Amino acid sequence: MKLIDITRRAGRSLKHAKARTLLTSLAIGVGAFTITLSLAGGQGGREYTDAIVKSNTNVKEVSATKAVDDSGKIQQYSETSAGQVSAGFGGSGFDPISYDDIAELEKISNVVTVTPNYAPAVNYITTEGQEKYVATISTFSPSVTLKFAAGSVDGDLGKDEIILTEEYAETLGFKTPQDAVGKKVDLGAQSLASSPLNPDKRDFTYTVKGVSSASGLAFRSQGSLLVSTAAAKDMYDYINEGTRAYGQFLLVAVEVNDADNAESVKQAMIKKGYDAQTSDDILGTVNTFINVLLGILLGFGALAVLTSIFGIINTQYISVLERTQQIGLMKALGMSRRDVGRLFKLEAAWIGFLGGALGSGLAILVGTIANPYISDALNLEDIYLLIFSPVQVLIVVVGLMLVSVGAGILPARKASKLDPIEALRTE
Amino acid sequence: MIEIKNITKTYGKKQNAFLALDDVSFDIPTGASVAIIGKSGSGKSTLMHAVSGLDRPETGEIIIDGESILTLKPRAIDKFRSEKMSFIFQSFFIQANETCYDNVSLPLEIAGVPFGERRAKVEAALAAVELTDKLNSRARNLSGGQKQRLAVARAIVNSPQVLFADEPTGNLDSKTGDVIEDLLFGYNKKNNITLIIVTHDPELADKCDIRVEIKDGKLQSVTDQTKKLAK
Repeated sequence: MKLIDITRRAGRSLKHAKARTLLTSLAIGVGAFTITLSLAGGQGGREYTDAIVKSNTNVKEVSATKAVDDSGKIQQYSETSAGQVSAGFGGSGFDPISYDDIAELEKISNVVTVTPNYAPAVNYITTEGQEKYVATISTFSPSVTLKFAAGSVDGDLGKDEIILTEEYAETLGFKTPQDAVGKKVDLGAQSLASSPLNPDKRDFTYTVKGVSSASGLAFRSQGSLLVSTAAAKDMYDYINEGTRAYGQFLLVAVEVNDADNAESVKQAMIKKGYDAQTSDDILGTVNTFINVLLGILLGFGALAVLTSIFGIINTQYISVLERTQQIGLMKALGMSRRDVGRLFKLEAAWIGFLGGALGSGLAILVGTIANPYISDALNLEDIYLLIFSPVQVLIVVVGLMLVSVGAGILPARKASKLDPIEALRTE
Repeated sequence: MIEIKNITKTYGKKQNAFLALDDVSFDIPTGASVAIIGKSGSGKSTLMHAVSGLDRPETGEIIIDGESILTLKPRAIDKFRSEKMSFIFQSFFIQANETCYDNVSLPLEIAGVPFGERRAKVEAALAAVELTDKLNSRARNLSGGQKQRLAVARAIVNSPQVLFADEPTGNLDSKTGDVIEDLLFGYNKKNNITLIIVTHDPELADKCDIRVEIKDGKLQSVTDQTKKLAK
């Protein structure tokens, strides 16, 4: 008997028992629904974190700190490090990175530049006719994605340019973000080496190049103002020169010539006694969390599928019993045992297909409807957290069909072993 | 030509053993109509099952057109049955929720007849039993006589060489029973196929060329009735 004919007969016998077929496949549909949704959530979650890391970190960048002795023992006092640490970092136990270390890091092959994290501690920001407000300064990186409410930056930021956030633009009295673009703002700084009684103060003036808007993706840029690395260095030098902490950095950013080399540079740095982290490491940490969540959801889906397996076995057993005479007749007409077995396995496959298609179809429908609401609730703007990939849905449906065929093996074997003489006995 | 040689079949084991067929031997010429007649439990159905290869007797041989079917592998017997044999049963065994077309098409599908050739054969078979207008009706909507006619159509659709009929008129009134008998004998004579009818109805047995009487698993008599019928 041809496979296509068996498939059609299998489909027809299911059609004749509509309610039973539907109920059995609904059980497997619950599993399909859960699995499809969790796979979509995993996919969306991964793409979401990928977007977060891309917009907050530079894939060509490896951030480095001095390796910390984490043996748990109290460290011995040493003139060279501890004194400086306590001066600059309040005795936090971190070894700072000096300009000598930076020179050493720059020697590693594939390293383009090593930039210290200047983070100049300015006192305030202000503009003409406005009050002074506290401000945190970060350095701008051209490879980190920013969302602009007004203005834009092409390539790197100029030395006399600054990027404000929407909040600062509003606080500083600009009616709209667009108003702020092109205006001048002043950053007030004080040299820490000067006498507290007669402080040396200076204003740094910058032109607003753009206004960044709050985004569901951005962490770093949200609270801080961005200036170019050169401008940050200028302010840092002015503020810290002459103090003991000058030239001591907690963190440096190592720029690599190619993203693919980030990992090898990281290894080279670890050998030299630094702690290094690539953007992949950051992404990996977040993804581990997502994968655990995904695993739990998939587990529930698998449990539902497991339950439905027993449903299929039960239904198919009953079907074999009900159709004893039909099976007997088909065997009398010369249908082979293998074909009889196939008929029942294909019926199970149909049930699996129906359940899989119903479940994942419903999941796609629900997910598509829910996506805008989820994004709205989590303030993700145009990013959707549930991403359905056709390949994954196909794998789910085919996988469930295979599982169903597996469940159908026992009933199919019973059918194929049926004695046609017994089956056709009427008295 | 079907040669039945020393068939013995036992059911059960040891002290419960029951001899269903005891050393049965006879020949059936091609194109003959044969009645296997006997009471309930006489072994007539067992004999039919053995001849059709559904059952495996302990000893003996069934040789159909020179081929000893009991030595064939199960798949080969299945193929043999699907291509050369067909069955009609007392309780029809038609699929009530399938259409007449799908009921009749089943043996063709089992035999692997290509899709394109099936429709003409099914239509011809339904025409032969005068059910052409029921082609797309569900089998459950047919009357008893129509159901058995449908079973006849299913039996003849694949042009078998041997047609087995197990009490074909047992569930029918005499009028519809006669229609079925006429169909069977007509098909037997017209196409020169071997018709083997298992029955306990002496009237039906009288209409066959050969009458094989069986009692308690033993062959009682094989009577050639062709001369009597010719009168």
